[in-house]
Amino acid sequence: MRHAALLLMAALWAGPALAGDFTVTVRGSDGKPVPDAVVMVYPNGQPTKGPIKFPWAYRVAQQNIQFNPFMLVVPVGADVAFPNLDKVRHHVYSFSAGNKFEIKLYGHEENRTAKMSTVGVAAIGCNIHDQMVGFIRVVDTQYAAKTDANGVVTIQDVPAGAIKASVWHPYMRAMKNEKALTTASVGAGAAREQVTVDLRAPAGH
Amino acid sequence: MFKRLQTKLTVLYAGLFALALSVVAVTVYVAIASNAQRAVREELAASGTVFDRVWALRTQRLHDGAELLSRDFGFRAAVATHDRPTVESAVANLRQRLGLDLAFTVGVDGEVVGLDPARLNLEKLWSALDAEDGAQGVFAIDGKPYQLISAPILSPTLTGWIVFAARLDEPEMRGLEKLSAIGLDAQVFDERGGQWVSADAGPVDKPLAAFVGKAMQDKLRAPTLLRGGADSLVLVKPIKALDRASGAALVLRYPMAQALAPYKPLMAAVIIAGLLGAALVAAASWALSRGLAKPITALDVAARRLQGGEDVTVEVTTRDEIGRLAESFNLMASEIREREAEMIRQALHDGETGLPNRRALERAIQMRLAAIAPGEQVVIAAIGFDRFPQVRAAIGYELATELVAKLGQRIFEIAPGVLVARLTTSILCVVSASNSLDHVLGLVEDVLPSLEAPIEVGGELVDVHITQGLAASQGELDAARLIERALIALDQSRAAHRKFMAFDAAAYGDPSANLSLMSEMLEAVRKGELYLNHQPKLDLRTGAITGVEALARWNHPTRGFIRPDLFVGMAEETGHIRALTDYVLAQAIEDQARLRAAGHDVLMSVNISGRLVDDHAFAKHAIAQVTAAGARLCFEITETAVIGNPDVALSVLDLLAEAGIPVSIDDYGSGLSSLAYLKQIRADELKIDKAFVMSLEAGGKDALLVKSTVDLAHSLGMKVTAEGVETREGLAALQLMGCDLAQGYHVAKPMGLDKLVDFLGEWSIEMPVPKETRQDETRKSA
Repeated sequence: MRHAALLLMAALWAGPALAGDFTVTVRGSDGKPVPDAVVMVYPNGQPTKGPIKFPWAYRVAQQNIQFNPFMLVVPVGADVAFPNLDKVRHHVYSFSAGNKFEIKLYGHEENRTAKMSTVGVAAIGCNIHDQMVGFIRVVDTQYAAKTDANGVVTIQDVPAGAIKASVWHPYMRAMKNEKALTTASVGAGAAREQVTVDLRAPAGH
Repeated sequence: MFKRLQTKLTVLYAGLFALALSVVAVTVYVAIASNAQRAVREELAASGTVFDRVWALRTQRLHDGAELLSRDFGFRAAVATHDRPTVESAVANLRQRLGLDLAFTVGVDGEVVGLDPARLNLEKLWSALDAEDGAQGVFAIDGKPYQLISAPILSPTLTGWIVFAARLDEPEMRGLEKLSAIGLDAQVFDERGGQWVSADAGPVDKPLAAFVGKAMQDKLRAPTLLRGGADSLVLVKPIKALDRASGAALVLRYPMAQALAPYKPLMAAVIIAGLLGAALVAAASWALSRGLAKPITALDVAARRLQGGEDVTVEVTTRDEIGRLAESFNLMASEIREREAEMIRQALHDGETGLPNRRALERAIQMRLAAIAPGEQVVIAAIGFDRFPQVRAAIGYELATELVAKLGQRIFEIAPGVLVARLTTSILCVVSASNSLDHVLGLVEDVLPSLEAPIEVGGELVDVHITQGLAASQGELDAARLIERALIALDQSRAAHRKFMAFDAAAYGDPSANLSLMSEMLEAVRKGELYLNHQPKLDLRTGAITGVEALARWNHPTRGFIRPDLFVGMAEETGHIRALTDYVLAQAIEDQARLRAAGHDVLMSVNISGRLVDDHAFAKHAIAQVTAAGARLCFEITETAVIGNPDVALSVLDLLAEAGIPVSIDDYGSGLSSLAYLKQIRADELKIDKAFVMSLEAGGKDALLVKSTVDLAHSLGMKVTAEGVETREGLAALQLMGCDLAQGYHVAKPMGLDKLVDFLGEWSIEMPVPKETRQDETRKSA
């Protein structure tokens, strides 16, 4: 609730400037929608100054020997909670540069947090369960979100003007798994872009 | 090809067996070879499968190791955090633990830890690792093929790969070879720059490399026979290469020689057994054919000997066809011998008497001649029955033959050592056991009485009279000539009225020369070598020469004067008398004509041979000649000539009488004088043989005979001529006896025509008894 209020306040505080929604549809080269692709928009190519707040919880639960959500977008410096909803214990880790952490064996209903201190990626795994893979995308822009099951994501209230936008997915065949979007600016209305990405199969487990 | 049956059979059987054996050996070899090949193929295929399995297990083991390591949290942490020393130590640790050749990590960013990146083609490796999750396969490191196993390092995203590498060189392959039941040769080939190269060190086997390349290209997955050098079966199994671009292959090879090695003792046994068998068969067929061929050879030899006239018998040893053949052969041989003996007996014996014949005699003589020592003689005697035709006519043919046989037997009994043969119907011949003619002559003399003792035939005693002729040879005469001489001696003996004598060569002369004389005589007639001499005949009443006797003479250019009795006798014997007589007749007619021309008319007497007296053709010819010439000839014939064929002869004499040709009976009193014939012959003259006339003057019986003959002739109306008047006393006696004519040396010798003409011209004689006196005498006697 507190987060929602904060978000609302920030929006209001941002003032009357013109803004619009930027909707991106991500599809694989096979035409299927690609979920969990993170679209990041940098108005004027600049990271967001000041605190960034997303309306979703910064939280990756372990449920059914899976990370849930598979993909989490958090602002840099956010503390991400790792609640264990399973009855087994997990040993969550990330060797990702800048966001290295290790939460050693902990049990059911236990909650641990880890701070995402560097913009980038934290690939998280469980030392006990190899099949558990999850990603935390640490961003330094307010305008970032991940696609839903239909491969669609709408970045709301992107200030009109020039933008630098890109789409990232951990399995994308591209430099740093990231691809720039073609949309160079957004107006007051809704902007749309459809992008096709080439994914590799996840590394075998 | 083979002259001997035995060789032929042996070669045939041994050859057949060897052939059959060769076929068996070849079949066995082919069967073994194909069997071995099949076994090796199966083994190779099995080995291929084993290899697959081993490869999979090994891959799995390595993979497991790699996987294990890649999941190790610490290791992942070290890799993710680029903790190079830690990673290196971890990799080395695992390499030792798993006994790996190489172990290293390759980062997603291309960083290689645990191996010098220069040793391999990193780009190629990275692409291969990236292209496939858990890529594995053959990859070249340091230019040598390695089996690479990779596993991704996830932390949790892919940060790199852990790679294990195992060498595929000889030591590794030896391990694989040991797994096979058969001694395989395993090699790994990999493709480098289009060439297939063995991972093994050592000499390059180019045909094998080429074969591997071809097998890979053609996807040949079955064991295949590679020829050339030592044949071998090769199985090429492709091995997954790490990068798809290049290839690798496991090559399993098995030399056929090795595959066949276990069968070598079997093959050797087959060959040895075969050779032994062939030797046995050769020996057995040799023995069999020997058993077969031996009697045949014996028969062959015996047949040749039989052909050569030897007395042979083949020993019969078997009861088979050959045995029967040998029996038949023996039977045949003995029959041939019997027949031959019979033929020889018949050839050498006289069928009637059973005595040896002339051929046997000749053989015996020839053998004796060959056996005698120098100076010795082979003596034979021809023993002839006297008057055999008369005896045969008296006692019959059969008994006469028996008589001959019995005489032969008798001779043999008297002189057991001799050979008695029958030469002709009535002549036997004895080959004496003695070697001396003189000795034999003595023996013959001694045994003559016992030989001539009467012989009993047909229950009656028959007198035996024989004459013998002996001949001897020291080898200068062959058997035939010796027998001929004995026969001549027999004739000579008979002619001489002796019981026996040896061959008289001097008396025999040279008959063959006489024969040639006859042809020369005909020639002589043409050449004028023959001529007539004439002997005047004195008329005892008038003292005038009233006639002549023409006598043929031959002056031979080389032999001189030939005795008339020789050539006339020969002419009679050889049938040339007609030609001679024709000549004499013609010449006499001619001579008479010349005498007439000279003024002398004399009666010319011509001797006509007894052979021509009964020849009508001659008589007609002679009559025609005489008549044509108007000649005055008298034909002198002997009384004996008429006796041979009296009817014809008498009719011929009648013809002559009718033609007015006077006939004179010559040599009266010397031969067989038959008063019966004398009565029948129409003769004008009787010539008393000189044997009576020559001893006339001695008085006694001859004078009485001549006187009575003169009277007899006169009584029969014939004139009488006395031959052989050689003395005046004889002439006187004849004159007194009333003889009409006289002929002889006292009157004149025979002479040529010219001399005769002179003689007649000069003739005068003082007769011993004056005409008156004689007339008185005549008157007195009358």
